[in-house]
Amino acid sequence: MDGSAELEAAERVVMRWDSTSASAAADEPMLFGDRAEAERFLRAVDDLRRLAPPSPAAVGSPRRLSSGSSAGGGAAPAVQVAMARLEDEFRHVVDEDDSVSSSVGRRSSYRSLPSIREIDLLPNDAVADLRAIASRMAAAGYGRECAQVYASVRKPAVDASLRRLGVERLSIGDVQRLEWKALEAKIRRWIRAARAAVRGVFASERRLCFLIFHDLPISNIAVTAAATAPATHDTPFAEAVKGAALQLFGFAEAISIGRRSPEKLFKIIDLHDALSDLLPDVSDIFAASKVAESIYVQAAEIRSRLADAVRGILSEFENAVLRDPPKTAVPGGTVHPLTRYVMNYSSLISDYKVTLSELIVSRPSASARLAAEGNELAPSLAELELPEPENQTPLAAHIIWIIVVLEHNLEGKASLYKDTALSHLFMMNNVYYIVHKVKDSPDLWNLIGDDYLKRLTGKFTMAATNYQRSAWLKILNCLRDEGLHVSGGFSSGISKSALRERFRSFNAAFEEAHRVQSGWCVPDTQLREELRISISEKLVPAYRSFLGRFRHHIENGKHPELYIKYSAEDLEIAVNDFFEGVPPSPHIRRRSHS
Amino acid sequence: MPATDSSSAAAPLSSFGRSFLSHRRDQIPPPPDHNHTNSSSSDLEIDAFQRHAADLLLDLLSDSDSLLSLAWTRRLLDSFLICIEEFRAILFAFADSQPLSRPTLDRLLLDFLDRAVKALDLCNALRDGLDLIRQWRKHLAIAAAALSTSDPDPDHAAPRGEAQIRRARKALTDLTILMLDDKDAGGVVGQRNRSFGRAGTTRDSVSHGHGHHRRSSSGGSSGSGSGSHLRSLSWSVSRTWSASRQLQAIGGGLTVPRANDIAATGGLASAIYTMGAMLFVVAWALVAAIPCQDRGLQAHLTAVPRTFPWAGPVFTLFDRILDESKKKDRKHSCGLLKEIHQIERCSRQLMEVTDAAEFPLAKEKDPEVQEAAQELVQVCESLKDGLDPLERQVREMFHRVVRTRTEILDYLSRPHNAS
Repeated sequence: MDGSAELEAAERVVMRWDSTSASAAADEPMLFGDRAEAERFLRAVDDLRRLAPPSPAAVGSPRRLSSGSSAGGGAAPAVQVAMARLEDEFRHVVDEDDSVSSSVGRRSSYRSLPSIREIDLLPNDAVADLRAIASRMAAAGYGRECAQVYASVRKPAVDASLRRLGVERLSIGDVQRLEWKALEAKIRRWIRAARAAVRGVFASERRLCFLIFHDLPISNIAVTAAATAPATHDTPFAEAVKGAALQLFGFAEAISIGRRSPEKLFKIIDLHDALSDLLPDVSDIFAASKVAESIYVQAAEIRSRLADAVRGILSEFENAVLRDPPKTAVPGGTVHPLTRYVMNYSSLISDYKVTLSELIVSRPSASARLAAEGNELAPSLAELELPEPENQTPLAAHIIWIIVVLEHNLEGKASLYKDTALSHLFMMNNVYYIVHKVKDSPDLWNLIGDDYLKRLTGKFTMAATNYQRSAWLKILNCLRDEGLHVSGGFSSGISKSALRERFRSFNAAFEEAHRVQSGWCVPDTQLREELRISISEKLVPAYRSFLGRFRHHIENGKHPELYIKYSAEDLEIAVNDFFEGVPPSPHIRRRSHS
Repeated sequence: MPATDSSSAAAPLSSFGRSFLSHRRDQIPPPPDHNHTNSSSSDLEIDAFQRHAADLLLDLLSDSDSLLSLAWTRRLLDSFLICIEEFRAILFAFADSQPLSRPTLDRLLLDFLDRAVKALDLCNALRDGLDLIRQWRKHLAIAAAALSTSDPDPDHAAPRGEAQIRRARKALTDLTILMLDDKDAGGVVGQRNRSFGRAGTTRDSVSHGHGHHRRSSSGGSSGSGSGSHLRSLSWSVSRTWSASRQLQAIGGGLTVPRANDIAATGGLASAIYTMGAMLFVVAWALVAAIPCQDRGLQAHLTAVPRTFPWAGPVFTLFDRILDESKKKDRKHSCGLLKEIHQIERCSRQLMEVTDAAEFPLAKEKDPEVQEAAQELVQVCESLKDGLDPLERQVREMFHRVVRTRTEILDYLSRPHNAS
């Protein structure tokens, strides 16, 4: 008897709050706005369950016994009304404006990685209410309705949070259309936003879901075939967050499938690294349900795509260096812009060597070298012997290959100079620059190794020697002894005509050299000085000695000034004009004729 | 770059293709005649590719009952995956091996790439659309579960109680609002709900109308505040994104290759054209079937000459699907997928059968309810079985298009061989 009266009382409480009844006023306040009413309602719901438990066969089925309870098959209708009401209440509470959230800070109640920062998305009492509602609904078999409401309300909240963090809704088409400079800025912003999104927003959402749903049977409708894999307490969270997460990672994916141009390499490595850093957190947060796992899987896929992009871009860079067309010769034989570009790029590669060493796992492929073979610009490249010391990493092999390709390309450019001396000078300048850049960067030096550096240095030295030979041999030959002496005859001695010829040739050749080579360029100051000194060291003593031995012959003849135009010191001064890259004053400065 | 490691069904594909071809050979129009004099192996392969595409389409058309069902859509995607694999194989077998005009080939490939990239956004949008259907299914499942009885034998089971019916109706009302709301962004939900529920008589719908007005709209979503909190998915594309525009970009301006282009590229121009058309057809059919933002089906292929064996089947497919879209009860649907229609029908049927019900449920009514509930369960089943695999296939389509694109870009960046 008592039980029956209690039951009726409980039903009355519940029916009072029937949101579907015709008497429900439009502006009726929410049940959970009033603490006392809310408590009463929940007690009534508990009473319903306690006093008229659902039959074990199927929750929600009509009851067989009819013990003086209201018409219509027992307490089930009241339960349904209660559940409908609770669903509305739940929606209202969880929909509360997020900005009311209180404390920020770490929570230790939920397992998390140190990097994760969960915050309270809703005030504590709201969470308690939600838990209270959810547990009643789940116990009555209405767990899925509850989960559904939760997800549908949290989803826009998550979207809004991500929007506030600066995550944009960019399609792949949008990303394709943007200039790389603009994309670089977006990538930087994305990296910051993604960290906050994963470690803050998603983590906090998961925690909220846990606080409300943990240990509740929210998929307890076992009868129908419509039951999927039992939902874990994570599923509402996963449903709420899934769209936002896929959209977030979708940006990284869009970047990874763009065209592979060399300028993109380093930002894409940044993106790859940022995503790699986040993957453990993603794995931790999105682990507990099938839906959640698929998010982790996609993020991991995208990371792979970025790694592929990195490898592809490096290949593209190597190809671009190979294919850089000769165009017109750089004036003055100076360092070619290609050389600067490639060496700067290589320096950056060595800066990023940690990630690149992980990602670059194969040596420059045979196909890359074969491609070089097919290239009419580089027919002999494939035959070049690449240095391959035993413990050389694939990345190091690539850098060396890049420099080999660069050198080869430069040789093509050098051949454009009509003056052989200038092409040697050009090679000298450029190889020197390469060597210099390597020595300037310990990481780069390390990658390239001493052996190859030695080779490069040798190349440079040889180019310098070749230059000197082709530029100066003829001139120095004017100062030789041989051919001047005349044998026999009674003035055994010097052929004056030959001597005069020598002086004239020397003057003309030197003047020509001075005119032309002053316009040539050796950009490196030290190298320039050394080269001048080297020239002086050969030229000046030879001239001085020549003068010393033969000048009196000329001075005894007619118009000596036509033949002995310069003193040794004049020459020394004139050499300083060489390689300035500036056309010289028309005449060689001379000290007053002695 | 050699077409090597396609991890998918490339090996068994060729045998499938051949047996298929020999079975169908008598039904297809004569092959296109590119080059009278020398029928090189590339010509043969390209011809075979086109006829294979035609066969796949004919196969899809053969079972008209299952058109646009989940199972049929999965076969559509399978056909696409088969085609793109063959296309890749042909391209990379022949692009390097014979003298051809690189500028022409490059131009055609670049055009193909532009179209292919558009398909990627579409794949993502379709994934969202499938997820939407999954959300609908959840509501169906709740209704189905609510209506289940302890005893499957209809003669012994007690009639369904008020609670069960009300619970099921609530779930189905929520579903209907969802389906209308998502189709019609920013639509005024309250009004629709009332008209659906025959205002004034059904308590549920009216109260929901009331109920909405009391609630604050959830932050961040747009459109009418009243229904927005019931949206399970706001579109994750930007407001200006349009499936119809994507389709236009994929198929628009896809012109028949000129004879000298075909000759200059050793026939590859025809293969590229065929693949472009297949991409468009599949994308178009998917947009027809699956909900997505701004689903317009106006985009079309400009006239394809009958020399291409797949021309007939393609236009037949367009016609069949367009016919479906014009049917009275499908005109305003958010997707032509058969199962969506089933969802709409089942839920409407159940609502009608249980409308203005008196409790305990009249003896004659219960079998009707039982029948409607059974159908509901069936729809849930077929959705459960079909949605996940379809989503995986759409993702696979994404992967293949990306891979093909990457390979073509690599090819384009390689130096031209001496020609």
